[in-house]
Amino acid sequence: MNRDENTPGISPMEEMSPPCQVACPLHTDVRGYVAAIARGDFEAAYAIAREPNPLIYVCSHVCAHPCEEECRRGQVDEPVAIAALKRFAAERHDLSLGHGPPKPNVEPKEQKVAIIGAGPAGLTAAYDLARMGYPVTVFEALPEPGGMLRVGLPKYRLPREIIDVDIKGILEADVEIKTNVCIGRDMTLSDLKEQGYEAIFIAIGAQQSRALRIEGMDLDGVLLGVDFLRDVNQGRAVKLGRRVLVIGGGNVAVDVARSAVRQGRPGSEKEVHMICLESREEMPAHEWEIIEAQREGIILHPSLGPKRILGRDGKVVGLETIVCSSVFDSEGRFNPTFVPDSESVIEGDTIILAIGQASDLSFLRPEDGIELTRRRTIKVDPQTLATTAPGIFAGGEVTTGPGSVVGSMALGRRAAISIDTYLRGEDLTGLQFGEWRELDDLPPKTVERIKPLAREPMPMLPLEERAFNYEEVELGYTLAMAMRAAHRCLTCGGGAYVDTGKCAACLTCVRVCPYDVPIIKEGAAFIDPTECQACGVCASECPAKAITMKLYSEDQLYQEIDALFADAPAENPEPLIVGFCCLYCAYAADEWAESVRAQLPPNVRTLDVVCTSRIDIQHLLRAFELGADGVFVAGCVGDECRHTEKAANRIQGKVQFVKEVLDQVGIGSERLSLYDIPSAEWGTVPRIAQEMTERIRALGPNPL
Amino acid sequence: MIIAEQKPLDEIKSMIADYQKVLILGCGTCVTICFAGGEKEVGILASALRMATRLDGQDKEFIEATVQRQCEYEFNEEVADLVKEADVVLSLACGIGVQTMNEQFPEKLTLPGLNTKFLGQPTEQGVWDERCLACGDCVLYKTGGICPIARCSKSLLNGPCGGSQNGKCEINPEVDCAWQLIYDRLKALGKLDLMMEVKSPKDWSASHAGGPGKIVREDLRL
Ligand SMILES: Cc1cc2nc3c(=O)[nH]c(=O)nc-3n(C[C@H](O)[C@H](O)[C@H](O)COP(=O)(O)OP(=O)(O)OC[C@H]3O[C@@H](n4cnc5c(N)ncnc54)[C@H](O)[C@@H]3O)c2cc1C
Ligand code: SF4
Ligand code: SF4
Ligand code: SF4
Repeated sequence: MNRDENTPGISPMEEMSPPCQVACPLHTDVRGYVAAIARGDFEAAYAIAREPNPLIYVCSHVCAHPCEEECRRGQVDEPVAIAALKRFAAERHDLSLGHGPPKPNVEPKEQKVAIIGAGPAGLTAAYDLARMGYPVTVFEALPEPGGMLRVGLPKYRLPREIIDVDIKGILEADVEIKTNVCIGRDMTLSDLKEQGYEAIFIAIGAQQSRALRIEGMDLDGVLLGVDFLRDVNQGRAVKLGRRVLVIGGGNVAVDVARSAVRQGRPGSEKEVHMICLESREEMPAHEWEIIEAQREGIILHPSLGPKRILGRDGKVVGLETIVCSSVFDSEGRFNPTFVPDSESVIEGDTIILAIGQASDLSFLRPEDGIELTRRRTIKVDPQTLATTAPGIFAGGEVTTGPGSVVGSMALGRRAAISIDTYLRGEDLTGLQFGEWRELDDLPPKTVERIKPLAREPMPMLPLEERAFNYEEVELGYTLAMAMRAAHRCLTCGGGAYVDTGKCAACLTCVRVCPYDVPIIKEGAAFIDPTECQACGVCASECPAKAITMKLYSEDQLYQEIDALFADAPAENPEPLIVGFCCLYCAYAADEWAESVRAQLPPNVRTLDVVCTSRIDIQHLLRAFELGADGVFVAGCVGDECRHTEKAANRIQGKVQFVKEVLDQVGIGSERLSLYDIPSAEWGTVPRIAQEMTERIRALGPNPL
Repeated sequence: MIIAEQKPLDEIKSMIADYQKVLILGCGTCVTICFAGGEKEVGILASALRMATRLDGQDKEFIEATVQRQCEYEFNEEVADLVKEADVVLSLACGIGVQTMNEQFPEKLTLPGLNTKFLGQPTEQGVWDERCLACGDCVLYKTGGICPIARCSKSLLNGPCGGSQNGKCEINPEVDCAWQLIYDRLKALGKLDLMMEVKSPKDWSASHAGGPGKIVREDLRL
């Protein structure tokens, strides 16, 4: 059984998908939402990004974004700022339009489902199942839903209102969440079954800090990382000394250290150190997190193993360390080796361990029939997430060990599909999740031709404003930044596709492509999606109309032209001017989107096109046919084109041709103008529009 | 391949003046490649005609279609219904396609939207040059692979004439003198002796002068 259409993000596709989408565990259509932002259609961007993701607001702030690691822009310079763009789309979204798509019209189902744990995995499964029509109840031990989002992630990275926005969206999908109910303490699994829950999803995460088996663990001043964060996040008093030693080199350790820096009040400045086995280069935390930690004054001690905690009078006074020469053995297994006689002491009065998390599985009873793995996670079928007990599924960090929000969400989604399959009485073993085919890397010849464009840096809260508070550090993009960031996307695989049945092998595409992509193969054009940069030149020039652009097709441009006229008053006092504006250069000048366009008089209607090379002769004629009194095309000056001068210049011939047609038809070529506008001069567009209006007014209306 | 270009819009307008519903029918082969009558050109002409006829106060309807090769019945059969529906067909194929249509659909008139110009080579994007006159008796083996029949303005067999100046033809300084080209090529090939051979007058009956051409391959007939 294959669930393609109805299950966002899970659908296997016949064609090759961009690596960002393949890398995203929810298979978000990154290319799609980034392109929508690039076009200035922010609500469309939100809708696309939201489609597979009920925790979109959370993800837009803290997603580990594996997509960016795979982004092909990274082969040219740096990856597209995918996560920051999602945040921009979410921030722009008008929540009064709803958090997500309306609930599908499905038959309400009878069978009740219980979900244990309201973290990302549990919430996603609950949301999906509720949308399938199941009555779903989530049991959560803590007073508030969110899991690690609520009690693990520090507020300077994830403000709590952000979590609330997503939780509200999930509740609106008719998910019931019962907080302060700890399975094992307040109820057992058998109780749930007795209460009529026909399927159970265990999504309790990995909420316990791993401890170290070294001397001194029982001293006063030794804290566990996750407990420390939970206390901080729940506003409980936390006692830290003046020298805090954080053991661990991962993201959680960085969060612990950066939180420790923020604890206290002015005057209670403290020194925070991070000690980890890995070398600086091997540290598992994200590079940008480590850099921020250092900027906040945290002192790193890489390549050191904790040997023993030193104490005096029952209180911590320091950590004895030993130099670690390698963390993994030749087979890549965790197996640290230490340099003999390399011991040294780091003084400190508080030690926080952040060396990993594990699940608290004490609530499981032998009679539950749920087997565990050697790693103390719940054993599941990797496809279906079924545990060894019928009707009981598990997923998220309780099966994977420490992971990511989006990774746990994907397993929540998978569990929902499995549970639905199970409750329908269908055979679980037949359940298949399609494989995604990924576009290959850019070939070197293409990399060479792509213009480098610097990645837009994330604006950050100034260092001095971060002390002793949990204000969010990353501030989000402005509109102009988002536009620039979005235009860096290569629209991988969203470019030209050839209908070989129509192709006349005329070689036009072969000759006009600025990236030398098309070739003639087996008698027809072949456009390798691995190489195509989606400029659209070929599609607009193919005499056989054999080429379609996958994203932002020619037809879409027609629709947009038609839409411009939908509300045009029949009796128009002013000449109706239609402007085709190249998006790349338009938005290179920030003002276009923010202010210039708003200055255009109502008789001037503009269409944003992704590169003037996308415009074809018929698009221009269409505007006249529909009654435009004047039409202008505004595009960048040759070398400013995001593609190449070759692409930028193609519009000239088309405009010339249309002028000749207009003369023959009797409309007159002077009603069509082409303006080359350097990006720095986009502010002149209103003036150009004004001049054109006057010129056309003198000519009188379109004789049609 | 066959090279054609669109007739002036005014001429097309007057051809279709008496008809209300016009099927503009393109061809997916030569005329597509020379940007005269493929699907894209059909769309552009339809748009231009819609506007032009509206300006003339006429209310005409244009249907657009393109077949793979208009000189074959089988391909045209695919648009038989549209032909039936239309009052007239405006073909954007070469003259061969236009005649095929007239033959195949005798009850409906098919008009030529193009002027079929010559047999030529797309020498660069947007440029087409005449190369062959279909004389029926190829002489390229005597002329270094350059056709004096098609490319010499006078179709001289023993050129050049006195009008050859600096490698250009006297009819137009843009036009290469074919015999200069032939001379240069033969020289490069070390075969200048071929220039000395006097070619006897050509038997033009092998070409159109001998009546309409026809080839029959009995072995292939069904
Ligand atoms: C400090 C820290 C920072 C992180 N930062 C990031 C980040 O920036 N980006 C990212 O992608 N990931 C991050 N992660 C990882 C991310 O938080 C987890 O991958 C994710 O929350 C796991 O989701 P989950 O649903 O599997 O489990 P959890 O989020 O752990 O949720 C499990 C829930 O089950 C509840 N529960 C447990 N036992 C019971 C029981 N017996 N009965 C009832 N309820 C129970 C818990 O209270 C909890 O609410 C971070 C983790 C930590 C600890
Ligand atoms: S360039 Fe765009 S489509 Fe390509 S991998 Fe990066 S984000 Fe995805
Ligand atoms: S431009 Fe169109 S017809 Fe020409 S080779 Fe390319 S796909 Fe084929
Ligand atoms: S012309 Fe542009 S759209 Fe067409 S194949 Fe080349 S890069 Fe792709």
